[in-house]
Amino acid sequence: MPSDRRLHPYSLLFGLGKELRQFLIPGLVVLVTAGTAGGDWQAWTLLFLIPYGAAVVIRYAAFRYRYEERELVIRTGFIFRNERHIPYARVQNINAVQNVLHRMLGVVDVHIETGSGQEPEAKMSVLPLDALEEMRRRVLGDRGETAAGPGEAVAQGETALQLLHLSPRELALSGFIDNRGLVVVGAAFGVLYELGLIDGLVNRFVGEQDSGRGLVRQIIRSVFAGGSLPIGRIMLMLGAFAAFLGLIRLLSMIWAVIRLYGFTITRAGDDLRTEFGLLTRVATTIPVRRIQTLTVREGPLHRLFGRVSVRVDTAGGDHKEQGVTQREWLAPILPRANLDTFLRRVQPELDLPAVAWRGVAPRAARRAFVRATVVVSVIALPFWLWPSWWDVAVWVAMIGWAAVVARKTVKHLGWSTTANAVWYRSGWIWRQMSVARFAKIQVVAMHESPFDRRTHMRRVRVDTAGAGDALHHIHIPYLPRETAVDLYDALAASAGGTAFKW
Amino acid sequence: MESALSEVERQPSIADGAVRRLDPRVIPLEQLTGWIVTAVVSLVLFFIGATTLLAAPLPSWVKLAIPIVWMGVTVALGWWLQRWPQIHYRYASYIVDAVGIEIREGVVWREVINVPRSRVQHTDVSQGPLERRFGIGTLIIHTAGTEDAIVALHGLAHETALAIRDHLLPREGSDAV
Repeated sequence: MPSDRRLHPYSLLFGLGKELRQFLIPGLVVLVTAGTAGGDWQAWTLLFLIPYGAAVVIRYAAFRYRYEERELVIRTGFIFRNERHIPYARVQNINAVQNVLHRMLGVVDVHIETGSGQEPEAKMSVLPLDALEEMRRRVLGDRGETAAGPGEAVAQGETALQLLHLSPRELALSGFIDNRGLVVVGAAFGVLYELGLIDGLVNRFVGEQDSGRGLVRQIIRSVFAGGSLPIGRIMLMLGAFAAFLGLIRLLSMIWAVIRLYGFTITRAGDDLRTEFGLLTRVATTIPVRRIQTLTVREGPLHRLFGRVSVRVDTAGGDHKEQGVTQREWLAPILPRANLDTFLRRVQPELDLPAVAWRGVAPRAARRAFVRATVVVSVIALPFWLWPSWWDVAVWVAMIGWAAVVARKTVKHLGWSTTANAVWYRSGWIWRQMSVARFAKIQVVAMHESPFDRRTHMRRVRVDTAGAGDALHHIHIPYLPRETAVDLYDALAASAGGTAFKW
Repeated sequence: MESALSEVERQPSIADGAVRRLDPRVIPLEQLTGWIVTAVVSLVLFFIGATTLLAAPLPSWVKLAIPIVWMGVTVALGWWLQRWPQIHYRYASYIVDAVGIEIREGVVWREVINVPRSRVQHTDVSQGPLERRFGIGTLIIHTAGTEDAIVALHGLAHETALAIRDHLLPREGSDAV
């Protein structure tokens, strides 16, 4: 009888931390706003700790696993017992995540992924490092060459090909372009504002009591009353705002470097292995067949620096796991010139230069313009209550701008079908291009709104798995009716003729 | 396995690729639902109108207008909810063949949706209490998609829904693994 193994005792620590994380924000708020209001909160926190601590201990004690001849058996639970059998043959990947604390304590967070989302998988938090090695050896056995741990050497087989490696400079550029630090900083700013620290800072600079909050009201009042605008203070606030934006960009760059440090993506056989992270080291494997839709993004800043970024939607494996997200970076930043080679190396079928882009119906620009005009007019409706020459001028200017945007956007709409995939690109300033292989298409639909009917157009929609939070879907609008019907039939036949494998 | 095969051969195949309409019994079903909705809405509006009439100090012409408006809304809603199922029935159809199922629906905003058999994860056939009385069932197809994770076809005869479900489910040795 193979022996039962347990998780590392540090799991208690990490488990407790995970439970208490949900109380972190309310706890901080209580701490900060209560101030010196009393020592009762210590008793309250103690009260909270007891049931959660007990739950964590019970969960730890009840978790056992063992290696059978052909499968991994995991048993959990005291009251509600569960025994899960994971055949070794079904295991696709063993992913490992290590943050700073993990590394300090010599443990690792392990996640076993199987072929599809419906089949059993396992999350083991945390295991000692040598237990991870043993697991890899026993479970993956001969297939172990495709699984490297965090910090291990990358190339073990001759088929490993490095697709991309990002230097810290590239990552800083990626952070600058993408500006992902906004959310974190915004939240911090909100907290500080509530605490009145912002007021204190501004008071020291400006020497007035209500510089921040009353300013917008003052501006609106003076615009409507026809008085003079407080130019000086507007300049000051604009300056502060600009400095704030600059700070956010800087933080975003630092965040990108830390989060994606040493980003390397390697192709080994049918898998893409990505490794990144300075504090939290992540090593994940993306089997190429799990890629559902691939999206290439190119914003104005991207274009300025001649870069693009590539993301994929993957499905299969655990959909709900927070550590290994479904929308994954293939390339946070990539020089535009290397895009063709990169795509071909990810999947030989993705041959971008061979795509013959087709446009949409000629009248589409007019429809887009009408739509934009309606939106602008609706937004401007309140201003028509007190019309002035200034309002009319602004309205006309916005309509002019809408005409330009409509025409340019429609001109950049493109789609195409190649031998195994459907391609779609959209956007003028923020450009996106998505490609989905026929084997990954789930459902094909064709829409006709009453406006479509009048202009003899249709919209074709392709649905893939895992596209939950994707910003760009393959929804091709403004197609001439016959073209739409042909495309719909072709896609339906292609989807029907290919098998779908998780 | 053999008995299942011969049973399939015995039944006339649903997967003949012909354009089929929904079961006509869905019209009286929807109309009955329409009556219920009209009754509920009318009741709610009645209470709102009555309390406004009695409680608020309003000019007399408004007090006269309220019951007229209530009656108008009730009649209009009732008439529309009787008319709509007939219109909707005319524009709904589906085709089942060896490749999959295609559903056409929508009067003003029209949609054609195609689900290949190889993409069907699992299916449900559901029947509410009213639907059971009319012998109508709803076929719910689950796919691996995101926007179309669930494709529902309401208004099928219960037996038809079961037949389509059996046809769509992957059988032994299919290629949809």
